[in-house]
Amino acid sequence: MRRSERPLLSLPRPLLLAFVLLLVAQTVHHHFDRERLESSYRGLSQPFSANIYRGLAMGSEQLLGYLLAIRLQLHDNQVGRHFNYKLIDYRLLIEWLDRITEISPGTEYPLLLASRVYTSTGDPEQLRQILGFIEYRFDDDPQLHWRRLAEACITARHKLGDLDLALRLARKLAQQPASVDMPNWARDFEFLLLAELNELESAIAIIEALLQTESVNDPDERRFLQEKLLDFRQMLFESQQLPVK
Amino acid sequence: MTSQTIALFRYLMLGIISRRLFVLLAILLFTAVLSGSFIQELAIINSGAIVSAFVADMLRYSMALLALLMVASAVAEDYESSQFERLLTMPLARWQYIAAQFMVIACLCLLLVLPVLLLVSLYSGPVIGIYWAAALWLELMLISLLGLLAILSLEKIPLAVFFTLAIYLLAKLSGLISQMLAESVYLSDGSAASRAIEFIFSVILYVIPDSSSFAQNDVFFEAANLFVALGSQFLSVAVYVLFLLTVCLVDFYRKEFNF
Repeated sequence: MRRSERPLLSLPRPLLLAFVLLLVAQTVHHHFDRERLESSYRGLSQPFSANIYRGLAMGSEQLLGYLLAIRLQLHDNQVGRHFNYKLIDYRLLIEWLDRITEISPGTEYPLLLASRVYTSTGDPEQLRQILGFIEYRFDDDPQLHWRRLAEACITARHKLGDLDLALRLARKLAQQPASVDMPNWARDFEFLLLAELNELESAIAIIEALLQTESVNDPDERRFLQEKLLDFRQMLFESQQLPVK
Repeated sequence: MTSQTIALFRYLMLGIISRRLFVLLAILLFTAVLSGSFIQELAIINSGAIVSAFVADMLRYSMALLALLMVASAVAEDYESSQFERLLTMPLARWQYIAAQFMVIACLCLLLVLPVLLLVSLYSGPVIGIYWAAALWLELMLISLLGLLAILSLEKIPLAVFFTLAIYLLAKLSGLISQMLAESVYLSDGSAASRAIEFIFSVILYVIPDSSSFAQNDVFFEAANLFVALGSQFLSVAVYVLFLLTVCLVDFYRKEFNF
């Protein structure tokens, strides 16, 4: 049984007044405290050159590269709280990621941080910067970094909503030679995005080429491509039937 | 003569082996494991290799410092208690003292390396564990003998420790220092002073150990020919250790002791 309550206004006036005053005080304090904390954020410093880090590593370059990556990963946690990624200077962040890649070549860590951690920012400009970093660092070792470029492609499509950028990244993935061992779905991004961009002829041409060159041996993948080919032809046919306004 | 040297070695070894050494060793191993676990929590990928490399490097530097302090304090005690004067009244040659100290250092380094072998093998497997233990043993031998030379010459623990660490760091950071000096020559448009400093440093490099004398930490991350790496390190350390022993003998034979 629910206990009945007295109306709020029937409470003693000093108690109500104290409640309102303390609510305002708490809100004002929280507001200024947040500003104070944000101003206490210490930005990233400029990294030294890779040669200096290599010298300082005293023979443990790979380990130093990983430790610097972990330090960078913890940068947004200061004075016991997590800071918004918007506060991070992404130009400097990318310099740090570059430096770590140079100190320990062959490591996946900086690109993983870029694609999984620093794409969490809500700022489109920062997002573009970090996707740009993934795009140009992908060329260092496509075999090692294809997953990161695939993730970047999805981020560009769904988070940034930039279909052209997503298509450029997808094209880069699709154009990798067969020696780069990656699943077919990663190469399929290109024609799927082309279809979204309504460039159905191009998408159809790519699928037909894939089916003709017999580079796709997996029966499930062939069936998927054939289904997509039929869908796209149908869509193309329907779009051509539409009256021109 | 051999039996006298072995007797002296056993006597000196008993002075080094103590409960304090084992307690320190246990604390160092525990700290390394604890720090490694912390790093493991932070690493997103490749945490196994990162932790192994971190623990190995942490143990490398702490064991080097421990070995250096043990050797320096043991010899400093011999100076303070006029042990040399007593020893030299016996039918013992000075080289036998150095030979006994060399054996003490070899055994002490072996003692320090055994728990590292077990720990690194647990983290990275027996092959890497054996490589790291062997490479670390060579590195510890090198720094301990440098410490022996320093304490024999300087006779005071702080001076000897600073001198040895300075040489060790100079050897490890020689690449960076050379690069900075080359840069300073370039920035000063090839001034005579910069070129002279660069030349002096390049001469100093000839009498300090080169980078191949140290254990290679990158083996935790990339496939390497461990046998070749160890062979190259053994050669560098062997030549340098013989050089150090000669310098120790020269210095020790030159010393005057008041009987």
